[in-house]
Amino acid sequence: MRGFFLVLKAEIVRSWIITRRYWFRTLTGIIVGYGMLMALIIGFMSRGGMDAVAPADAPPTTVVTEQAAPPPGVPGGLVSDPTKATRYVLGFIIGLFAFGIVGLFTQGLQGMAQMGVLEQLCLSPHGLVTNFLARSVVGGVNTIFSSGIMLWLITWTLRGTLYWDWVAAPVLLALTFINLLGFGFMVGGLVLVFKQTGQLAIIVRLVLFGLALFAEEGLLHGHWLMTAFLHMLPVTDAAICLKYVFIQGQGVATGGPVTSVFAFEAPYCFYFLILNCVVWTGLGIVCFKVMENHSRHKGTLGAY
Amino acid sequence: MSAQPLVELDHVAKTFYTRHFLHLDEETRRRRLYARRTVHAARDISFTIQPGEVFGLLGPNGAGKTTAVKMISGLVRPDGGAVYVDGLDVERRRRQVLRQIGVVLEGTRTSIWPLTPLENLAYYGNLKDVRGAELKDRSHRLLDFIGLRDKKNVQVRRLSRGEKQKLAICIALIADPRIILLDEPTTGLDVQSSRAIKDRILEMTRELGKCVLVTTHDMAVAQELCDRIGIINKGELVTCRPTAELLDLFSEQIFAFKLDRAPAAAEFQDMPGVIAVEAENGEEGPALALTVVREAAGRSEALYEVIARLRRGGYQLRSINQRQQTLENVFLQLTTDLRESPAPSGRETK
Ligand SMILES: Nc1ncnc2c1ncn2[C@@H]1O[C@H](COP(=O)(O)OP(=O)(O)OP(=O)(O)O)[C@@H](O)[C@H]1O
Ligand SMILES: [Mg+2]
Repeated sequence: MRGFFLVLKAEIVRSWIITRRYWFRTLTGIIVGYGMLMALIIGFMSRGGMDAVAPADAPPTTVVTEQAAPPPGVPGGLVSDPTKATRYVLGFIIGLFAFGIVGLFTQGLQGMAQMGVLEQLCLSPHGLVTNFLARSVVGGVNTIFSSGIMLWLITWTLRGTLYWDWVAAPVLLALTFINLLGFGFMVGGLVLVFKQTGQLAIIVRLVLFGLALFAEEGLLHGHWLMTAFLHMLPVTDAAICLKYVFIQGQGVATGGPVTSVFAFEAPYCFYFLILNCVVWTGLGIVCFKVMENHSRHKGTLGAY
Repeated sequence: MSAQPLVELDHVAKTFYTRHFLHLDEETRRRRLYARRTVHAARDISFTIQPGEVFGLLGPNGAGKTTAVKMISGLVRPDGGAVYVDGLDVERRRRQVLRQIGVVLEGTRTSIWPLTPLENLAYYGNLKDVRGAELKDRSHRLLDFIGLRDKKNVQVRRLSRGEKQKLAICIALIADPRIILLDEPTTGLDVQSSRAIKDRILEMTRELGKCVLVTTHDMAVAQELCDRIGIINKGELVTCRPTAELLDLFSEQIFAFKLDRAPAAAEFQDMPGVIAVEAENGEEGPALALTVVREAAGRSEALYEVIARLRRGGYQLRSINQRQQTLENVFLQLTTDLRESPAPSGRETK
């Protein structure tokens, strides 16, 4: 544990220096991302092909709102339905987040192996898992911050509404992140040994991305096999919960006897999220360790 | 040398498999759906490195030197045998082992390019539990010594190849390890820097009792630096002896007869006691280079015989030199034909 914090400190310093040194790149990244997302959303919405998505807006429970929601169809707004647009933006950003985190474990890991940084990490007495955990925690927190800024900017432009619940939002974000880490560790383990899977992983990442974008409860009422599969993937439940909290402002149950911590329309998604977290993290780390050992055997930790 | 060895390889073996799909078989010219190729990177390799010793590992490309280094540092797991570092089994006690070794692997991308050398050392120092004032102090001293004094605050991506190599060496030394593994450390370095590194290696071993393993293709470096040398060829340890003994084994057997005209090698075939004959016509004029057996009577016989033949052939003999044996020659002999011709071949002599 102490080792983890030492490594974490080193990682934070490293990433802080790089962000500071390349602040211009970070900034342009956010601006370009902002522009692209805006273009996509406006394109999406103006084609009007997404009617099936937004469920009837439930009146938000009492939560902190950042901005009063304008009544739908206010003239002068960029899109006719800001709530729906915001929903998409959120989906996009969760998707990008999942894409990025899993990418850290696939293409990122592959690149590190090629460059020899991976071997350096293996030479640290704290072990590869600890090092990689620290690395991805720092990377993940970075991504959360920059995509948070982007999300806020876009919502603001679209005159949409974002809700922030001081309990629900951080808890859900953390769970989502841990979930993705666990999944990433599993995929990463495979990439360590079978370098070719790195290409396949792009498909997995795209699936996760699409799922985050379109996830909603309605998806879960199809064939039971499909439903089970969707629950298994690490982003479905997370995206659904996040959308409830951020877009519809449902969060911690307030008033009355607390029966469930979260007062979603679909609390089972939250339970599935927790289950996913436990399973993926456990499985992921075990898989990564086993694969790391196998990788030593095959000598694939380096550029080979 | 009775102390416990710092590094010990005990009958280590390693075979790599590479898979090929739709593989074209060279012999049958037929394409197979799936083929597995085996590469023996280590076959029954045993050697030890004592405290205060510089051990050189030589061998042609693909011989298995880097694999040996990686096995000692726990990056590659041997299939058979065991590797001990300071008495600890590398497989079982990797963490403790890693605290004691510093490794420079080939390639220059081990450092983090957007950071400066100082920041790199801080980062890697932290990964190895070096902190605070000690880290700072050591970083500055290492960079000064290796000649990166005025590049301390330049991003690594702006450094030259040799400067990156120097930084890699500093990174390996940041935790002040007792065991230092250097895989081709002097490639790309200028004369001053490789001099500095060689001096440093000697200082660390002679005065501080550390042990160093170097692999190199530079025979001069090996000859000058190493106390003992192991030569690997195709995963097999061909020889492993003290440098002086290795040179001695192969010395006193090449004689160069300088002549007035180029000799016809055919006239000097099948003489008793002669291992190899070579007609030379280089810058130093025409000559006949003769490799003779080490055994005294045979050698005497061979020398008389060649002189007789030279006289018969009407050559004018200008001079006879006994060639100084170089490690390069020894290396070439040992790795081109896999025989260790003179003396019984021991895996290791201490
Ligand atoms: N992970 C691996 N998988 C398959 N084969 C490998 C692997 N690593 C090394 N090899 C093979 O093992 C052999 C020994 O490689 P190694 O890198 O140890 O050679 P080397 O002595 O360091 O050569 P060089 O002088 O070129 O650095 C080579 O034939 C190489 O192709
Ligand atoms: Mg090598």
